[in-house]
Amino acid sequence: MTSGLTLGIETSCDETAASVVTSDNVVLSSVVSSQVDLHARYGGVVPEVASRAHVGLINPVISQALVEAGVEPKDIDLIAATNGPGLVGSLLIGVSAAKALSLVWGKPYVGVNHLEAHLYSCFLEEPDLELPLVVLLVSGGHTILVSMEKHLEYTILGQTLDDAVGEAYDKVARYLGLGYPGGPVIDQLAETGENNITFPRPMLRDGYDFSFSGLKTAVINYVRNNPDAPIEDIATSFQEAVVEVLTVKARKAAIETKAKGLCIGGGVAANSRLREAIFDICLEDELHPFVPSRAYCTDNAAMVAATGWRRFLHDGPTLLNTGANPNLKLPEKVHL
Amino acid sequence: MIILGIESATSQVGCAIGGHEGVLASVHSSRGKRHAENLTPQIEFVLEQARIRMDEISVVAVDVGPGLYTGLRVGIATAVSIAFGLGVPMIGVTSLDLLAYPVRYCSKLIVATIDARRGEVFHANYLQVPGGVQRVSEPAVSTPDDLAADLIAHGNEALLVGDGALRYTETFAGLRGVDAAEPNIAYPSADSIVQLAHAKALREEFVTPTELEPVYLRKPDAVEIENQKRKLS
Ligand SMILES: [Zn+2]
Repeated sequence: MTSGLTLGIETSCDETAASVVTSDNVVLSSVVSSQVDLHARYGGVVPEVASRAHVGLINPVISQALVEAGVEPKDIDLIAATNGPGLVGSLLIGVSAAKALSLVWGKPYVGVNHLEAHLYSCFLEEPDLELPLVVLLVSGGHTILVSMEKHLEYTILGQTLDDAVGEAYDKVARYLGLGYPGGPVIDQLAETGENNITFPRPMLRDGYDFSFSGLKTAVINYVRNNPDAPIEDIATSFQEAVVEVLTVKARKAAIETKAKGLCIGGGVAANSRLREAIFDICLEDELHPFVPSRAYCTDNAAMVAATGWRRFLHDGPTLLNTGANPNLKLPEKVHL
Repeated sequence: MIILGIESATSQVGCAIGGHEGVLASVHSSRGKRHAENLTPQIEFVLEQARIRMDEISVVAVDVGPGLYTGLRVGIATAVSIAFGLGVPMIGVTSLDLLAYPVRYCSKLIVATIDARRGEVFHANYLQVPGGVQRVSEPAVSTPDDLAADLIAHGNEALLVGDGALRYTETFAGLRGVDAAEPNIAYPSADSIVQLAHAKALREEFVTPTELEPVYLRKPDAVEIENQKRKLS
C-alpha cells in the first residue's frame, strides 16, 4: 500500500506554488512564491507578466518543495495540478509541468479544480471536520457560498452577481489611493478607524447571492461628497458593511442546511475582521467554526495536493491528453 | 547520446527523439492550438515508436522562441520538467535557427520569419557556412514592411522561410531576387532541434533547467505602457 504522497502544483493566478502532502493531510512542505510585487505597479494581475514569472519559477519551486519535504521522486504517488479556473496561460504552466513529471516518473496525474481545492483547505489543519459544512469562499475572483453535504459533493447556495469581494476591496483601495492589493491595506487601516458611516448592505436579507458593485459605488460617491472624511473611518465602515453581508448570509445558510460547521476559504478569508466575525456567529449558534491559517486561505499548493488525492481515489487519474479550463466550474451535486 | 527535442513556438507542436544515428522518431500536429493537450502524449508516442525508455534520454532540447507566447511556454515548462525529473542537462535552440536549418544548402541570404501576430514578424538572417548556416543578425521583431525595406536595401538575393513570410506573401512577392521557401517547411521542426542540439551537445553547450531562458523579443503590453508613461512624466 502506498502512503498517498502527493505533489501538488498551483499556478492559476499570481502565485507559483508546490507542496508535498500525505494522504492523511499532513503537509510536509508548502512553497509559495508570490508575484504580488511584480503586479503591484500595474494595480492588478497582468496575465502576460504572471505567465512569464511562472515559467521561470515553476522548476525552482517544485524542486524546493521536494527538498523541504525530504522526499525523493520515487516516494511520490501522485502529481496533482490546478487545471482551472484561472488565467489560462498561467494554468498551462503548472499543468504542463505536472504532466511531464507524471510521464518521467511514471506516476499518475490528476487535474484539480481550484475552487474545490479552496473548499478543502480547511481539512488540511482539521482533517476530521464533520459534514455537512457550509463554506464561504471569498477571494479576488470568487464569492461563493457552498453547502458541502458529502465529500466531493456540493451545492452552490449563492454567489456574487457582479464584483467578487476581493475585487471590491481592490477597487475601493485604488480609488482611495492605497495601492494594490487592496485587502491587506484596508484591513490594516480599518483597525484604527471608526464604524461611523452607514454604507449600504446590498441584498442583506435577500437570498444567498451577493452584490458588491453598489457598495463600491456608494463608497466612491461618499468620498467624492465628503473629501475630508478620515480615510480610516471609510475603511472601517466599508469593511463592516462587507463583513456583515458575508456573515449574515453564511450564518443563515449554516442554520438552514443544518450544517455542523462553518468554514471560510480564499484570499479574503485572511481578513482579520472577517475571521473574528465568523468565530462570533459560530459561538452564538453553537456551530463549529473553522478558519484556516492565513497561509492556507491564500493560494497554495497544499490544498491542491490534498484535493488531488481525494479526487484520485474517487475518479482515478486524469488523462495526459487534457489541458486547462480557465472557466472550470465547481462540480455541483445533481439534484433530482 | 539520446536527445529529446520539443518544439511548440508556432501554431504547430511536436517532438522528436534521436542521437548519433540521427532522428529516430518524430511527430508534429498543427490543428487547433492544442499544444498542452498534445505534447505529453506525443512524447510518449515517439519514445514508444523509437523503442527508447524515458530514462535513456540524456539531453532535453527545446525551442526557446521567439514565437507565440502560450504555446512556447507549454513546450518550455514541459521540457524543463522532464530535464529536472530525469536530472539531465538541456539545450535551448532559437526557433529562427530551426527554420533556417532545413534550407542550409541555399547559397542566398536566408531570412527566417515567424508570424508574431499584431502585424509583426520575428526574423533573423543566415548565411551558408560549411556544414550548416550561421546567423548573421540578432533575432528581431518588426513589421513586414520594415523587413521588406531592409531586404531591398540589402540588395542581395534572399530566400524567405517561415510562416511570417507566408502570412505576408503580398508584401514580399514583388521584391526582386527574393524567393519564398515552400509552405511545408514554414514551421520549425522538432527533427531540426534534435539535429542542431546534437551538434551543440558534442560541444557540450548545455544549460541547466533554471538557466534556460525563453526569447520573447517583446515586453508584455502593460510593461510597455508603464515605460511610456514614465518617459512622458
Ligand atoms: Zn484562489
